[in-house]
Parts: sequence; structure tokens; C-alpha cells
Amino acid sequence: MDNRPTPGKITLNIILGLLIVAAFAISWRVTDVDFVKLAKNLPNGKDIILAFLTPDFFTHDKTTITIETPFPIPCGSAPEAEIPLSGPRLVPSIMCADPKVKFILEGFNMAPNSDVVVRWNMPDGRVLTAVQATTDAKGHFTSEVESRPIAAAVNGVAAKLAVETLTSIGNLKPSQAAHDVLAAMFVTFFMALLSTTFATIIAAPLSFLAASNVTKRGPVGTTIYYISRSVFNLLRSYDPLVMATIFGFWLSFGSFPGFLALTVVTIASLGKLFSEAVEGIDSGPLEALQATGANRFQVVVYGIIPQVVPNFISFIIYHWDINIRISTIIGFVGGGGIGYYLSQKINLLNYHQAGTAIWAIVIVVWAMDFLSSEVRKRLT
Amino acid sequence: MLKIENLTKVYPNGTVALKNVSFEVPDGEFLVVIGLSGSGKSTLLRCINRLIEPTEGKVYWDKTDITAASPTELLHIRQHIGMVFQQFNLVRRSSVMTNVLSGRLGYANPWLSLLNIWPEEEKRRAMQALERVGIPDKAYSRADTLSGGQQQRVGIARALMQEPKFILADEPVASLDPVLSHSILQYLEQLNKEGITVICSLHFLDLVHRYATRVVGLKDGLKVFEGTATEIDRAKFKEIYGEEAQEVRATTV
Ligand SMILES: Nc1ncnc2c1ncn2[C@@H]1O[C@H](COP(=O)(O)OP(=O)(O)OP(=O)(O)O)[C@@H](O)[C@H]1O
Ligand SMILES: [Mg+2]
Repeated sequence: MDNRPTPGKITLNIILGLLIVAAFAISWRVTDVDFVKLAKNLPNGKDIILAFLTPDFFTHDKTTITIETPFPIPCGSAPEAEIPLSGPRLVPSIMCADPKVKFILEGFNMAPNSDVVVRWNMPDGRVLTAVQATTDAKGHFTSEVESRPIAAAVNGVAAKLAVETLTSIGNLKPSQAAHDVLAAMFVTFFMALLSTTFATIIAAPLSFLAASNVTKRGPVGTTIYYISRSVFNLLRSYDPLVMATIFGFWLSFGSFPGFLALTVVTIASLGKLFSEAVEGIDSGPLEALQATGANRFQVVVYGIIPQVVPNFISFIIYHWDINIRISTIIGFVGGGGIGYYLSQKINLLNYHQAGTAIWAIVIVVWAMDFLSSEVRKRLT
Repeated sequence: MLKIENLTKVYPNGTVALKNVSFEVPDGEFLVVIGLSGSGKSTLLRCINRLIEPTEGKVYWDKTDITAASPTELLHIRQHIGMVFQQFNLVRRSSVMTNVLSGRLGYANPWLSLLNIWPEEEKRRAMQALERVGIPDKAYSRADTLSGGQQQRVGIARALMQEPKFILADEPVASLDPVLSHSILQYLEQLNKEGITVICSLHFLDLVHRYATRVVGLKDGLKVFEGTATEIDRAKFKEIYGEEAQEVRATTV
């Protein structure tokens, strides 16, 4: 072939180059690429990323406790309190007082961001509100209290400053979000498993019909071959989201329409992968089996299936993995499972819980990836 | 007796692989087909059991017209024709046992065989076949873990399961080294002595001299020679293999 540049070829190349540049310019415009904004709005992104990075997995058991600090009025009428150095505690600025003296009362390690009521618990059992306060994020408050004459000590027993608060008692346990995410992930995992199983049961036999080396013989075989191929291609041209929306309107939203959408998409995709695996086998053994007088079914069972089983299994696990991801997305359009949970939490701005779901997805996807690569390693 | 009459094969792309080939193979013969690569040896052997449909001509086996057999009849005919291949054609991932048993599929109960359920009697038969070819210990190995020579023995054991009246062997030793070639051909020779007709294509003339009771030479789809190995003189040799050909030996003795 003559490869010398001619004026015609050069012009053609220049036009081609200009077209490529134009295509990129248009792509840039329609995508609204704005890297400056990406950097400038980093703080907006930071909050949500941080929330996602601090998922809500665990919670402490909580219980209501009453913290009491004896406060002798007047001084010397009763023993003074011994204040603990840590844990939830009430700390007055003075340890005793004469009546009608104002002092500062601090509370430590209470429930954060909550309203608390400090009372006088009198020796005779009567109760009087001393002050109301609100704790900060660390569970701390400061307020001014007056030593009321009515709270004076009686017979060497002082009235007590008391407050009720929620406190965690040691034991870590999974949070509500963790429970919900686990339940939703359960649904997603098994929805993906069931749809992959159903799809395999339907796609595996069909894939033999869509394999040219099995079916494409004679006019009947050739017709069957083209019909089954067209079915796979037709099904493949629909996106899982579109499918899920259709089934969602049809059956109202939930896991079942999500499952149906996944199954249909998986049949198409596995059918194609399977039939290509069947077409890729070594034809030698088939020839040998035919030569022994084996019938068509025997040739399939003895010659084709042993050759394609490892491929089939690895495709199935691979697709199960994909289906977990797809069903997450399908959940956003109402398909149930973890995706639905995630979309709800994001809409309610509960980013910590959304973060829990995201982490769960990451872990499961990673585990499935590991599993499928391990299985594939073993199958060769 | 096998009778081949005016066999012609034209592939869909127009290649004429066989032209009007006729010859007879009396029972008990070890017939060797020779010819250059592309001369039509594989096509000829496959036209006999109709793995390839001949375009024209007839193949008779005793009184049966194989070329006219219906699909079901053809399965019954193939049941008695063993075939051995250059590339062994074992199902690589299946066990040796399953590969040998698959030679029996034509005889087996179609339903049970699909579930890979075999009567004890057939398993014993398979073990005997493996003993004949000297590898009973490999019965439960995966076929692809065997060496080439061992795989070809499995191929012979599979053919034996058919209790064949004759065996078609398409270059059964072309993938093996010379020493193994003899050991494999000796199995075929042994079977031939027990009364099984063998039709075998071979490349090396020294092997032809050693094993053939009669030889058919093909060139570009035409039969250019028929006779005993000793009748292949220099002139005949050049006619079959072309002017530039040098005789190559499998073994340098
Ligand atoms: N499926 C096919 N379609 C078209 N042409 C074919 C086909 N199979 C074989 N041929 C051609 O037919 C001719 C005979 O081929 P064949 O395989 O029978 O020869 P051979 O003697 O067995 O050769 P080799 O020693 O290489 O095995 C060759 O020219 C080959 O290219
Ligand atoms: Mg050949």
C-alpha cells in the first residue's frame, strides 16, 4: 500500500484533528467542568465525607442515674461532700455555705446537649428545684445556685444537690443503625443470590441454544439459534434501573420488583456470557464423542458441560457480586434492601447512618470480590 | 469388508478435499493412508463414519450403506467404529474413567448415562480396557494430568469400550515422540491381530513399512497409490510426496 502523504490525505488528517478537538470542547461545555468550584467548595464536601467516615455502628447501654452531692447549710452543720475526680459529678465552687449565698455549680460528664434540672433533696424528703441548665456537647454545664434557708441541714444531715442524667454503662452494643443496616443488607444479599440463582436456571439451558457450535445446524437449529440470541440481546438493551422502575410501577415498590428487575437483567447478561463460554470450548472431544455413537444430549453432558462448568461457576459468582451492587442502586428507585435504606437516610440528612450503610456495602462488596477471586483460582 | 466408492468431498468454501476416491478394505487389514499435509487423509477417515458428510460417493460396510443411513441408524453404526485422534480429544477436565466410559455411550441407557450412572459391569469393562493399555492406576486421575502417550492410551481404551469392528486412527502418533509412537502403534497392531480392522493415517514411512498390511496414498484428494509398503519405490515416493521430498524417518535406528 502507498503510504506517502498527499495534499488530500493531509487535509483529511487536519479535518479529523479539528473534529476531535471540537468534540472535546463540546464535551467539556456540556459537563460543566469546574475544578475551581471543586476546590473552593471543599468545606461542604468535608462535612458529608466526615459523616460518612464516622459511621454509627455501636452504642453504649444507657441508664438514668441520680448524682447527689450533700451541701451543708450553714457550714459545719453536717459533713461536707467528697467529690469524685471523674465520671458524672456535680461540683460546687464552695463545699458549704451560710444561707442566701450564691455559688457556682458545675456538672461534668452528663448526657451531652440535654436539659437538666438540679434539685435540692431535703433531709425530710421534700424536693425543690434549684436551677435548670443545658449541657454542652461534652456533657458539661455551669450555673449559679443560691443556698436556700429552707435547704438547711436537719439534725446533722445536709440537703443534697441532685441531678438526674443518662449515662452509658460500659457495654458496647450495635447501634440501631447497625441493626437496620444488617437487616437491609441481608435483604440485598439474598435478593442478589435469589435473582442470580433464578437467572442461572433460566439462562444456562438457553445459552446452549444460543451457542453456534451446539445449535446452528440445519434450518431448525439455525432459527432457534437466532431467536435465542435475539432474546438475550433484547433483554440486555434494558438498563436495570429502567427495569426496576417498570416493575416498581407494576407491582408497587419493594424487594420483589427489584428482584424481578435483577433477574431479567441477569438472565440476559449470564446468557450471553454462558453461550460465549460454550462457543469457546475445544471441539475435539465433541468429535470423539460423536464418533462413539453418543446422541446429542450425551455429547452435551459428557463433552460440553465438563468444559464449561468452571467458567459458568465463576460467571455466576461474579454476577452475584455485580447484583449486590446493582441492587444497591435499584434500592434508590424503591427496590428495597440496603439501597432503599441508604436513599432514605440521605434524604433525611442522617449522614452518620448513611455512612453505616456505605461501610456495610464496601465490606460486603470487598468480601464478595475476595470470595469470587478465591473460587476462580480453585476452578482452573 | 469396507468398500469406498467414488468418494468426493467439496467443502462449503469450494476446497475439493477428496476426488473420486475408491478402494476396499477387507476384514482384518491394517490399512495405512499416507499423503502430504492437506492431501485429504483426515477428510477421508471422517467421511467413513460421517463426522464429515461426503458430497458424493458411497461407503458400504458389508451390506450396509453408511452414506444412506438415517441419523438414528448412523448412531448404531458409529457405535461399532472406534476412532483415535492425533490430539487425543479427551475431555481434559473429566477423569480418565469417565473418558473411557464415554466410549460406551452408544450402548448405554440414555437416561442413566446422562446422570453419569454406570452399571458395575461397564466400570469393570473400563478397568479392563485401561489394563490392556497399561494404565489402570490412572483411572481416577484427571485426563489433563496425563502425559501425551498416556492420553493416547486412554483414547485407545475409549475406542476399545465400543467393542469395535474396525478402528479409524487419524495420525494417532503425530503428537508423540518416536519411542512412544511405536508403543501406541503396537497396541493397534495387537488389536488388529485379534481381528479388528484398522484404518490409520501416518506420516513417517518407516512406521508405514513396519505396521501396514496395505497402503493407500493420497495427493491433493486423489488416490495416487494403492499397494503394499514394499511397493513404494523412489518413483512412487516422489509421486506421492512431490519432487523435493526427502524420506524422513521417525526413528534413527
Ligand atoms: N472444514 C474445512 N473447510 C474447508 N476446507 C477444509 C476443511 N477441513 C479441511 N479442509 C481442506 O481440505 C483439504 C484436506 O484437508 P485434510 O485435513 O483432510 O488433510 P490432511 O491430509 O488430514 O492434512 P494433515 O496432514 O495436515 O492433517 C485441505 O486443503 C484443507 O485445507
Ligand atoms: Mg489431518
